[in-house]
Parts: sequence; structure tokens; C-alpha cells
Amino acid sequence: MNAAGTLRRARAGLPGLLVLIALAVALAALVIVAVSGHPPASQAQQVQQIAAGLHCPICKDLSVADSPAPLAQQMRQEIAQKLRAGESAGQIRAGFVAAYGDSVLMSPPRQGVAGAVYYLPLLVLAAGLITAFTLLRRWLRTPQPDPPEADSPRLSQAERRAVAKAVARLREEEPG
Amino acid sequence: MRRRITSRRTRLLAGVVTAVAVIVALLMSGLGRDPSVFASPLVGRSAPNFTLPQLNGPPVTLAKLRGQIVVINFWASWCTECQVEQAALDQTWKQFQDSGVTVIGVNFQDTIDAARSYVRTTAVTYPVVEDTSSRTALAYGLRGVPETFVVNQSGRIVNRVIGPVHAAALAGEINSMLRTGAQ
Repeated sequence: MNAAGTLRRARAGLPGLLVLIALAVALAALVIVAVSGHPPASQAQQVQQIAAGLHCPICKDLSVADSPAPLAQQMRQEIAQKLRAGESAGQIRAGFVAAYGDSVLMSPPRQGVAGAVYYLPLLVLAAGLITAFTLLRRWLRTPQPDPPEADSPRLSQAERRAVAKAVARLREEEPG
Repeated sequence: MRRRITSRRTRLLAGVVTAVAVIVALLMSGLGRDPSVFASPLVGRSAPNFTLPQLNGPPVTLAKLRGQIVVINFWASWCTECQVEQAALDQTWKQFQDSGVTVIGVNFQDTIDAARSYVRTTAVTYPVVEDTSSRTALAYGLRGVPETFVVNQSGRIVNRVIGPVHAAALAGEINSMLRTGAQ
């Protein structure tokens, strides 16, 4: 009796257990995919990423990653050395900004005049949309004049009488 | 009714004129600036320290020169403008070396042989150090040569000169700093 009861309880709990196992397997699979899908960047890749965000100080329009200039090469070496020393990408960028200013960044921070360049078109667009919306709403609200009713022209009594007479005359003249 | 429409039109016109004025002012502020000249964020800040080997002598450490005015000149043997300013730097060194002023030449992106040959033939008298890794040049935000940084007695960068320095201007600046002391 005891053995049968235990078996019954085990059978009853089996679906829940299976669901738990399935969830654990799914979670493990997600973790594996997440880890294997984004392997940690190698140091060379990290150097490339940081260098791509820095403007070569002696070039016209090249990043430190793309420039063949000796100074850009030395900047890449400096980045690699700082990474080996344990500095983060942000700290390395901040170091170059401290020496060269914001102009060393390929994408300057959105502050001051640079910020105005970023945000002014958005403001103009927003102002245009608001204006267009306001004008459209005003136009839709303006009461339109009613179209003249076809069957009831605004005629004076005398005119109606004249029209009725003319119609009667025409009918009398109609043959048959 | 007509007055209300006129007032609305005036406001609209004022808004458009203001917007155009703001955009033109932004553009004008950019047009009036030489894009090749970047202000150094280091001016007013502590000069990055360095210890660099001298071409003909013991290593030079900037921190050990605290209390002196230091003129740091980045140069290269292949740079023609550096040859132009050579006399001015030598003159400054000879004039002020006994008054607590040091001139240091930092050789930039050069070969040691070429640098030594240049120093020998042009008879450079002030200390010249080599920055083979360009680490010091990068710390000073160098964009080319010649560039000169003037460091006051308390170790702050007070001026950065892009291009050749002039002896009279440098002497005037140094005399002013010697009179007022470190500030």
C-alpha cells in the first residue's frame, strides 16, 4: 500500500519535474548561446575598436585605426599598452581627450555648439510638425459654407410666381 | 480682426528672423576660426611629467625642475620650421639659464642618428631628450612639430605655441613670469 502510494505520488509529480528539467536545459542553452555568440573581444579587436573612435590628430579625416601615420601607429601601441595595464576603454579615451580635447573623438560629445548641431534639426522638425498639425486642425475646424440646395433656390415670391407661370405656359404649348 | 492677423504675422516673422539669426551666428562662429588650430586643454593644467633619456647626458625628469620655468620644445631634424626657431631657443637658453629657466628639446619621430647629427651641426646648447615611443608627445597632445609649451614655476602649462617661437615674445613671457613668480 505504501509502495503503491509512493509510486502514485511520484507519477503525479513527474510532469512538474519534467517541466523543471526542460526549463533548466533551455536556460543552459540560452547561456551557452549568449556566451558563444559573443566571444570576448581579443586585445587586437579592442585596440581596433578604441582606435576607430579616435581621430588621428595629424590627419585630415582618418581615424587612428585607419591612419598609416606613425603617430597613429604609436597611438595604437599606446592603447594596447594601456589595455594590458588594465585600463578600460573609457579611461583610455578620457586620457586622449585630456591631452587633445574633444576634437580627438570621431563623434564629439553632444554638448555646446556640437550639441546644437545635433539637436537643432530635430527642434526645427518638431516645430514644423507642430505648425503643420496646428494649421491642419484649424483648417478642419473652419466651418465650410453650405452648398446651395438644388431644389430650393432662394427666389422671391414674385419670381416663384413668374417661374410657375412660365412652366404652366410651356406645358400648355406642349403638343398632345 | 485685421489687427489680430497683422500681430500674428509680425510674431511669425520675428520667430523666423530669430531662427535664421541663430543659425547664421552658429555658422559665423565656425567660419571665424582656423580649423587647423585646436586649443590645448592642457593650458592651465599641470604639465604631464616625463623622464626621458638625453641625447648627450643624463635622463631629464620634468618633476625635478619644479620651481623653474621650463620651455619644452618638440622638434625633429626633418622639420624645416624647427630649424627656423633654433636660434630663438638657443638665445632664450643662453639669456635665462642662470635665472631659473630651462629649455628642453624633445625629439619627435626621428632617428637618434639624425637627431644627434642635427644637434651637432646646429650647435644646440640646451638639453635635448629623445621620445622614441612618442608617449610624451601623446601626453602633451602633440599634433605636429614644432610645438612649444611654457611651464611655470609651479608646474602648470601657461602657454602653447604652434609653429616657430620668437625670441622676443618668449623673453617677454619669461620676464613677466619671473617678475610675478608662480601663480
